Order: sequence, then structure tokens, then C-alpha cells
Amino acid sequence: MNTAQKFLLKLLVVLTAATLVAAGCGNDDDDDAAPASAPATEAPTQEPAATQAPAPAPMDDEVVAAFVFVGPVGDAGWTWAHDQGRRYAEAETGATTLFVENVPEVAEDFRAVALDFIENEGADVIFGTSFGYMDTMEELASEHPDVVFEHASGFKMNDTNFGNYFGRMYQPRYLSGMAAGAMTEADQIGYVAAFPIPEVLRGINAFTLGAQRTNPDVEVHVNWTFTWFDPALEGDAATALLEAGADVIAMHQDSTAPGLAAQEAGARWVSYNSDMSPFAPEAFITAPVWNWGPYYARIIEAVGDGSYVPDAYWGGMDDGIVTLAEPAADVPVEVIEEVLQVWEQIESGDWDVFTGEIRGQDGNVVVAAGETMDDGAMLSMDFFVEGVVGDAAPS
Amino acid sequence: MRRPALVRRDRVVPATQALGFFVGIVVALLLGAVLLIVSDHSPAEVYERMFDSAFRGTDSLSRTLGRATPLALAGLSVAVAGSMGLWNIGAEGQMMAGAIVATGVAMMADGLSGPLLIALMMVAGVAGGMVLMVGPALARSHLGVSEIITTLMLVYVAIRVVEWLETGPWKDPESFGFAVIEPVPEQAALPGLFGRANIGMLIALGLLIVFSVAVSRTAWGYELRLAGSSPDTARYAGVSLRRKILAALLLSGGIAGLAGAVQLTGSATRLESGLSNGYGFAGIIVAALALMRPSGVAVVAFVFGAVQVGGQSIQTLGVSSAISDILQAMILFGALVAVVFFSYRVRWSAPSVGLPAGVREEPDPSAEAA
Repeated sequence: MNTAQKFLLKLLVVLTAATLVAAGCGNDDDDDAAPASAPATEAPTQEPAATQAPAPAPMDDEVVAAFVFVGPVGDAGWTWAHDQGRRYAEAETGATTLFVENVPEVAEDFRAVALDFIENEGADVIFGTSFGYMDTMEELASEHPDVVFEHASGFKMNDTNFGNYFGRMYQPRYLSGMAAGAMTEADQIGYVAAFPIPEVLRGINAFTLGAQRTNPDVEVHVNWTFTWFDPALEGDAATALLEAGADVIAMHQDSTAPGLAAQEAGARWVSYNSDMSPFAPEAFITAPVWNWGPYYARIIEAVGDGSYVPDAYWGGMDDGIVTLAEPAADVPVEVIEEVLQVWEQIESGDWDVFTGEIRGQDGNVVVAAGETMDDGAMLSMDFFVEGVVGDAAPS
Repeated sequence: MRRPALVRRDRVVPATQALGFFVGIVVALLLGAVLLIVSDHSPAEVYERMFDSAFRGTDSLSRTLGRATPLALAGLSVAVAGSMGLWNIGAEGQMMAGAIVATGVAMMADGLSGPLLIALMMVAGVAGGMVLMVGPALARSHLGVSEIITTLMLVYVAIRVVEWLETGPWKDPESFGFAVIEPVPEQAALPGLFGRANIGMLIALGLLIVFSVAVSRTAWGYELRLAGSSPDTARYAGVSLRRKILAALLLSGGIAGLAGAVQLTGSATRLESGLSNGYGFAGIIVAALALMRPSGVAVVAFVFGAVQVGGQSIQTLGVSSAISDILQAMILFGALVAVVFFSYRVRWSAPSVGLPAGVREEPDPSAEAA
């Protein structure tokens, strides 16, 4: 027996074990693809799939909307929120909706899925919900002028069939910061940060400004993980911040691990993406959350009646695409009242988060008193405000 | 008590193993049908979609070939090291290293014409993969450090380097602050053949032929295999094990690096941390299924590519990604099991004193490739 074949046998043993384990998990997933600990409100993932399969081929006048997700719909975070939006839009518009989950941000993967949707399922509009799909969607949009492509979180578009959309998450983040600032006793908040990109920096800054409103002494300590979904690493990052003295944890990733770490340490937690309170009910304070449904319904309707025009949509709390989850019962009433006041100011457009005077980490004035940062400056934000401890460009 | 032991069959011809490969796939598809029925899907509909999306029409075929190309190059990378009993587990990282150096070259020389720039980027890819392999190769040849560990660990180093470049020195100034590296110049896109297939496929095919001949038909290849299967004999015959180890591992790294450059210019638009997309790790399975033979790598990579394309496609029918993953794993696992049982048979025998079943008739593994 030569060496190669012997290794082959070893590999076989490993694969046998792995397959048995995978098959074991898979059978559970089959009944309910969401993790066992997912919120009780979440319906089994298989449900839409099961109802799709026997449905007759869609008629020409009925819109078929397809969603390409980067993660699992059971992640309780980013993808879960988009899938909630898909369900809402399907119920609201009567359109057929389809989705594929766990699609890597790689050209051939996205392309293969999109072409299947177009050629086999007759998709009229394709929503891609991850930044890395952008270049491929741009290409596909020019190759398939009859199909609408809508890209979440990117910056590219065209004049006919390719638009992008995102939400002003910094607004509810500010509100969540207000609650967190009121809840910290150590005046130290830990922020488990994803990647040093404007969206994340903007979130940290908005959160910090909100926390300073209710607690002028507060410091926000940033720990970068360079991940979007890595529960082990994100939990460790939270633990490191807690051990360094923080008693409230905020985060930007899609996992619930930072919340579990906070609860274990007897600390508090501001989640993100969705109301994750069932995962760590004792730690949970509140969360800035996504509400994609109304936007998806609007786009699907526009595609259906032929009125679709591409846009670089960046909706705020006034449009309901971003909002704040219900705060925990022990957040003081006067804090909640103040949060609601600011909420109203933001929603009415009287005031926005990045209104001066705002100082950067180095103490220099970034936004002068009375001025408000424009969208361009917010979308390319590359600094931390005063009160954030950490490096805004950690590479 | 009688115990089972795997014994090599008396006559094993590659054709039998190839037959086994396909028999295994058919058995797996039958078992998969049960899984599909249990999960409320029609096996006929699902399998038809799998087949259509992977093979029907030039577009589908080109999609399969597009996936088979990086799988074949990664598989060849693992197989070249594997033909002398070495395990390059880090092709994933070497792909990244190749893509990094190729991107660097494209940034410095983006004024060049397409063919020249592409050629330079390919060379840069090979160099990048080799650079990442220098450490593990020297550690293996001179210190006996397991290349399995070192090559694997460097995967994460390579991915982190890409993330550093994305957020730091190579961040595209025109990306509104997003952490992306600027796209490779347009003229560096690999010329297309048909559908989505490009000449990357021909590069892979050419290399497979070259190495197929080199490993099985040349003195160099014979010495390589000899050094792997019986190092003492090889040493006695005057073969320098150190040089053979260095050659096998560096070539393996270089081929994986080339795979990275081919992905960069053939499929991706820019260097990003997801570029290698698991192809490097999948290459280990490809090489194992091909029994470390470059000729087998071509067939296995094509089938593997088709399984991936089909597996993804059925998700648009409503099959969950978990079921699809299990189905893909079953197909590959079935093929692997069948290949093994077409090469070995189980013999039940009474245990002999002092030796556990299974190791009888085999040389001591620690004596090999030392």
C-alpha cells in the first residue's frame, strides 16, 4: 500500500465521521432550519420552500422576486432581517418570492444563482443583500436589461435596471447609545466592531454621541474582529472588553455571541440587526434594527406596474427602514422619554445625529456648531469622534 | 473473534477505479433521493435541475468548467505533493498569495498590453504561491517539521494579509471608503472561449497533461514517487530526499499560486478576501478522489464542479442549503467509498497475536517519507 493510498484511507475515516455528524445535524435542520435557540416568533425556514415547490409556474403578469442571501436565514441577524422583509413583501404584494442562502461573495457563485433565478424561475427582480455582490450585479444588470437588480449596501447603480439601497442605521444607533450610556455604571462601554469601513465607523460614532448625551463621562472602547459572522471570535472580543472594565457591550456583527458573553459576565448588551433579546434576556438593553419589508414591497410593486426607476436609496427612521427595538424594562423612564423626544426630532427631520459641534478623537472640531454633516461626508466617514478609544484605521 | 482488514485487490486497473467512481455517484444519488423525498422534494425534478444547470447547453457547461478550473489546479497542486506522500493542506492560502503578487504586478504594470500583462500576472501568481511555500518546504526538508501543520497555518496568514491590504495600503480611493482593492485592469481579463469559459481552462488542462506525463513517465517522476513510497530505497539509489521534498512542495505551492492568478483574471474583478472561495481546500478532496494522479484530477474536478453548480442551482427550486450541502457531500463521499472498495477488499480473519487488524501487510507509516 503506498503512502497516498494510506492517506486516502485516513481521509475516508475522517470523512465518514464528518458525514455522519453532518447528516445528523442536517436531519434536525430539515424540520426547522433555524437554530434551536432562535426566537420563538421565527417560522420554520422550510415553510416558504415547501409552498413554492408545488405552486404552478408563475403567470406573466405576476412578479417573481428573488433574494440572494450571504448568510443563513436562521442567523438571527443580517440575513434573518432581510428574510423577514421578504416574507413581509410576499404577504403585502402577493408576489412570488424565492431565496437562496449562504451564497459566497464570489462572482461565479452569485452569477450561477442569479442566472438560475432568471432562466428557470422567471425572476423579474433580484435583491442581492451583501456588499461583495456589487461588481457581479453590475455586470448582470447590463447583460439582462429586462431584470431589475437591487443591491443592499453598495455604491454602484445605472439609469435603467440597477439600483442600491441601505438605511440610516446611525439614527437608531444614536438612540441605542442613549440607553446604553444611561445603563453603564463603570462609564465604560465595549464595542465589538466588524470592519473599519464608513458604515461601521458611523455606527460607532453615532452610538458614542448618543451615549455621551445621557452620560458625558462615558468612554467607548473599540475591539476590531474583522468578521461579519464568527460567533467564537466575536464572543472572545466581547469578553476581552468586559475584562478590561466595560459593563455594557455593543456590536456590529450578525452573531449573538457578544450578548451571551455579556450575560455571562453579568454585564449589559446592545444587539444589532434584530431584537435579539431572547438570546440573552438579562443582558439585553435594546437594539438598532432593520425593517426591510416596506422597501421590498415598494420595489416589487414598482417592478410590477413598470414604474421602477433605479435609485441610491438611503432611508432613515422617517421611512421606517431602520428603527429601535423595545428597550428593556429597567431602562429608566426619563431616559426612554428623552429617547422618544430625539426619535421624534429625527423622524420629523428637525435634527440629525451628526449635527455640530462634534470633535474628533484628536480634539479638533469636525462638524462646527449648528452645522449638519452632509450625506457624502457621512458615507465616507473615516474617523472616530472624541470619547471613542481605539484606532479608526487599524491596519 | 474475526476482524476485518482492508487488503489490496490483486488486479487494480485505473478503468476499474473510474468505474467505481461513477458507481459510487449513482448509489449516492439513489440514497439522496430518499433524503429528498423525506424533505418533501421530488427527486426527479431536483436531479433534472442539477443535470440541466451543470451540463445542458454551452452556458451551463461553461459554468461547470469555470468551477472545474480552480478545482483542477488546486487538485493538481495537492496531487503533485501527494505523489511523494506529502500533504499540502494550504493550497487555499497559496492561491491567495498568488493573487496578491499578481495584483501587485497589475498595479505596477497596468499600462502593458493584455497578453503581456496576463503572462506577467501568471508568473507572479506562481511566484507568490512558491513564496508562501518556502517556509514549510525548508522546514520539512531540513527539520522534518510536518508540512500539514505549516501549510495550513499559512492559509490564515495569507487571508489576513489580503484584509490588511484591503483596509490599508491598497484600499481603492474611489470606493467611498469601502474596504476594497481597486479592480484589476480590464485588459488583464482572461480571453473567453465560449459562454463563461475562458482560457484559464486551457491553462489547467495543459498543466494536467504536463504533470501527468512528468509524474508517471519520466525519471524525475519515478524518483519522486520512489522517494515517497520507500525513502530508504530512494536514498540508496542516490536520490536526494531533501531536494525532492523541496521540488515537490515548491511546485505544489506554485501551481496553487497560479490557480489564484487564474481566479483573479478569469473570474473575479479584484483581489478580495473571499477570492479563493474554498477551492484550495476542495483541492484536497479532488486529489484524494483522483488517488493523487494528475490524470484523475481532470475527471474528478469536472465532476466536482458539476456537483457544485448543480447543488447550488437546486436551491432556487426551494431545496434548503443544508439539504443541498448534504447531497453534495453524499455524492463525493459515495464516489470516494466506491473508489476505495474497487481497489481494496475486506478480508475477515482471526486476529494474530500482538498485531491489531488492519496494519498487517503494511509497512510502518512512520518510516515513509521521513
